[in-house]
Amino acid sequence: MQGESLRSSVGALEPSTGGPYIDHHPRALSRVECSVPSQALACCSQKLVKIVNLNDISGRVFVRGELPDYLRHNGANASNGRGAQSTSEDDMVDITAGLQQAAAASVTTPTSHGTFQLYEHGGRNSNASANSYTIAQYFSSSAGDAVLFSGMSGDDDIPGIGQYDDFHTIDWQRDIARDRMRHRYIVKKRQDSIWDLIKGAHDAWSGWVCVLLVGVCTGIVAGVIDIGASWMTDLKFGICPQAFWLNREQCCWSDTDTTFDTGNCSQWLTWPEVLGGQRQGPGAYIISYLFYIVWALVFAALSASLVRMFAPYACGSGIPEIKTILSGFIIRGYLGKWTLIIKVVGLILSVSSGLSLGKEGPMVHIASCLGNILSYLFPKYGRNEAKKREILSAAAAAGVSVAFGAPIGGVLFSLEEVSYYFPLKTLWRSFFCALIAAFILRSINPFGNEHSVLFFVEYNKPWIFFELIPFVGLGIIGGCIATIFIKANIFWCRYRKFSKLGQYPVTEVLVVTLVTAIIAYPNPYTRMNTSELIYLLFNQCGISNSDPLCDYNRNFTDVNSAIEKAAAGPGVYHAIWLLVLALVLKLVMTIFTFGIKVPCGLFIPSLALGAIAGRIVGIGVEQLAYNYPRIWLFSGECSTGDDCITPGLYAMVGAAAVLGGVTRMTVSLVVIMFELTGGVRYIVPLMAAAMASKWVGDALGRQGIYDAHIALNGYPFLDSKDEFQHTSLAADVMQPKRNETLSVITQDSMTVDDVDTLLKETEHNGYPVVVSKESQYLVGFVLRRDLNLAIANARRTMEGITGQTIVIFAGTGNQPLSPPPCLMLNRILDMAPITVTDQTPMETVVDMFRKLGLRQTLVTHNGRLLGVITKKDVLRHVKQMDNEDPNSVLFN
Amino acid sequence: MYFKFIALVFATTCAVFVSGHSYEDNRCKCVCPSPATVLNNTAGADRSPFMKSANVQPNKCNCESVILPRVGDQIKGREQEFCPRCECKYENRNTTIIKVVVIIVIWVIMLLVVYMGFLICLDPLINKRAKASYQEHTNEDDESTLGGPSQQMGARGNVLNRVTHQQDKWKRQVREQRRNIYDRHTMLN
Repeated sequence: MQGESLRSSVGALEPSTGGPYIDHHPRALSRVECSVPSQALACCSQKLVKIVNLNDISGRVFVRGELPDYLRHNGANASNGRGAQSTSEDDMVDITAGLQQAAAASVTTPTSHGTFQLYEHGGRNSNASANSYTIAQYFSSSAGDAVLFSGMSGDDDIPGIGQYDDFHTIDWQRDIARDRMRHRYIVKKRQDSIWDLIKGAHDAWSGWVCVLLVGVCTGIVAGVIDIGASWMTDLKFGICPQAFWLNREQCCWSDTDTTFDTGNCSQWLTWPEVLGGQRQGPGAYIISYLFYIVWALVFAALSASLVRMFAPYACGSGIPEIKTILSGFIIRGYLGKWTLIIKVVGLILSVSSGLSLGKEGPMVHIASCLGNILSYLFPKYGRNEAKKREILSAAAAAGVSVAFGAPIGGVLFSLEEVSYYFPLKTLWRSFFCALIAAFILRSINPFGNEHSVLFFVEYNKPWIFFELIPFVGLGIIGGCIATIFIKANIFWCRYRKFSKLGQYPVTEVLVVTLVTAIIAYPNPYTRMNTSELIYLLFNQCGISNSDPLCDYNRNFTDVNSAIEKAAAGPGVYHAIWLLVLALVLKLVMTIFTFGIKVPCGLFIPSLALGAIAGRIVGIGVEQLAYNYPRIWLFSGECSTGDDCITPGLYAMVGAAAVLGGVTRMTVSLVVIMFELTGGVRYIVPLMAAAMASKWVGDALGRQGIYDAHIALNGYPFLDSKDEFQHTSLAADVMQPKRNETLSVITQDSMTVDDVDTLLKETEHNGYPVVVSKESQYLVGFVLRRDLNLAIANARRTMEGITGQTIVIFAGTGNQPLSPPPCLMLNRILDMAPITVTDQTPMETVVDMFRKLGLRQTLVTHNGRLLGVITKKDVLRHVKQMDNEDPNSVLFN
Repeated sequence: MYFKFIALVFATTCAVFVSGHSYEDNRCKCVCPSPATVLNNTAGADRSPFMKSANVQPNKCNCESVILPRVGDQIKGREQEFCPRCECKYENRNTTIIKVVVIIVIWVIMLLVVYMGFLICLDPLINKRAKASYQEHTNEDDESTLGGPSQQMGARGNVLNRVTHQQDKWKRQVREQRRNIYDRHTMLN
């Protein structure tokens, strides 16, 4: 037994069949011969328990009153198993009694769970004499996870059980079962006293209260970021001496007379003016240039050093990590208090430094941090990792909701892009959370424009059918730009990861900032805040727009207020050249920027890239329509003059296309974009562009940027979008391989010393528990962490625990309880591990891992334990089948 | 002591700013083409539009009440042509929120910078005096050396020590994060 390896270090994958294991223990049959049918029955009912779990997972309401009889029977077993654990004896009679009780319970109170009522019942009957040891034992082994974690709400709980170590995967099944048990406990206690009733009510509404708090906090934090970033961005250009906390627009807000020629009002002083010079002229330009660069460097240096000093996890966009966390991975500290503070402050600083980055992606991370922190106020969510992820999903929706002022888009983003497990209940909570967050941000009104984003535009222009062709063309362009971006960015990040560049994170930030500032300042379109650039490009040219981009030879004498098409003036052509330059610069700078060690997102840069490309195309089409209004393409709709081609719409479609290509979002992207424009009229153009962009992107490169970063970092993310298309079997993937033996724990014959030795000599995170080493019949599964904690706890609290104490996990009917006393560890044993047979196709196994959120599954052959498949094995196998390096997966 | 001082300074700064110059929170913003364009009927002569803001009632926010009293003499009875081309919008803002937020942001940044300076410059000195065996942050094996003294101090068990213990724990976590990201490059690349 000692030195056996359950999950050995990975050598060559040998296709191993179940063959050698069948005859491993010839003596096994002698003891368990008679009980094989009941084992089979137990296995069967185990699976049925899991079916119930599956139903709960998929969010459907499963009324216990409708349970078929065999499941109720199982519930009865569960209760009896519970009783058996205390006295280790049980009787067939209990099962019948329990069944009746279950039926009664489901009739009288259909909402409460039948199994719970059985809970006590089994205990009462547990002193019945044992006359059928084998059957009782095997029925108790089918007790199901529902019972085992009931200690969660008990008083004598071992501290730390149910938590996870850093960089481990959670077991959704187990956590959800724990929560269900806790819920039943509360429902039962509710009848005891008023106080318990209040506690029960608090428990029932805590989910909604939690998302309410998350929404409120997210809205406030978003407001702080918006106001702070817009003020600090303008600090690069000048200051408002009378009220230094106002940015340029707010400073000139109540100025009574402003012309657009200078763009400045008297209250706002640029830096050359502050220093006593004049507003115009080469000297002023140089001083402004210098101030711009210095401020940018100061902000970036502050941001990078704060991140490095206080919370390194605050760097980057955070969406790949949030995706991984929501898929059931633990990264301690990633959603902590310091990460939140530093991410907020660092985000304000890095956005203000003029780097080519946005605040929208990190907003999702910030909202998730808030969700995590606030969930600790509610033990239901704070202590249960699977439940906590429901709050995190809602928080991610709130993050996008405040980032774009798009609540529905946020919910869909959470559903489409980040969440892994998204039942309807979570959908409603996300909806509520996003609504609250958007409402709070809107009340703060950070931009003074009655909207929660700077680049909100309102359109009401029709589009003509022919325009779908340029829209699809924009989709293709967007897909190409996105692919270039993803490939180059991944190349650069990989280079950073494996070269000496990675050792100089702060220096890298400073160099990138310096280069960005030097190149960006001369071009007015890159100098300005990227959100303002997007707003300018989205907007249509009206009287209030004096940018060169709107230098059309328009005749304002006509009283008709419609903006008609007109010949482009020289300003437009000049602006186009500047925009082309800006496009190239932004693309290159974003490639180098995304991944540096400051908080940075890429929604805004991608939107800007697409908006530039779209606006250029739009101006082209517009001039075509102006010069040749009668060609068949426009089917006569452009001959009247007005309402023909809107370049701003093209900018919007282009922005959607690039963002769609980069992130591979479709539905949520279209919804976000139309919430930004406030009109449903452009859904079809946006859909066409998003779809074209996704197709082009998928054809040129397989992954979106987030998936590519997950792969680059090797996070253990089992993508539910990919299909597993290989023909391997469970036996090929499981550990141990041939020639190695499985580390197992026997249910009632190992001493504390044996267990200690096993824990010391192997590094597995869990051990199967079997009836005996000879028979290898499966009893359950115990986690290494729980085992450690339980033994340490027993040593601390119980007397007489020596190295020779027998550790008993289950079923000790034939063992005397005389000294030395046994250590009962039935509380930590998962008696309903998911099992598959060795001939199960991997396709099915991968599906089970994805849909049930398993951490491991046990492989059996002829009912006997053969091996274990963990999520890591599955991920390695997938990587190996895709001809990638299987050792790149970050995992414990 | 240290924190009290900061809080005091913070309060006084707030008081100073609250009593300072106050900006309007409502405006009616009208954007119009320049009168010359309309009157001369010459396209492209002087097209630069202009903007007027005024503090009026929301229902008075239109060209007739805001623009005409100011430029009426230039227009000379051609209001019917001029006014339809003006865009008037009533807008709200809250300067108090902006002020409070910006000041809080500045304070938080300053606090963090001061604390960072403290951790970089003073903390090693203090710790060096406290225990000679202090290891540099980048050392891989310093977890045990840091864990030991803090536990001994925890035995005395007053609030200060608990704070120190928490701080040590936090520092260990940050060091671990730093190692993951900056040295081993296993995360967030």
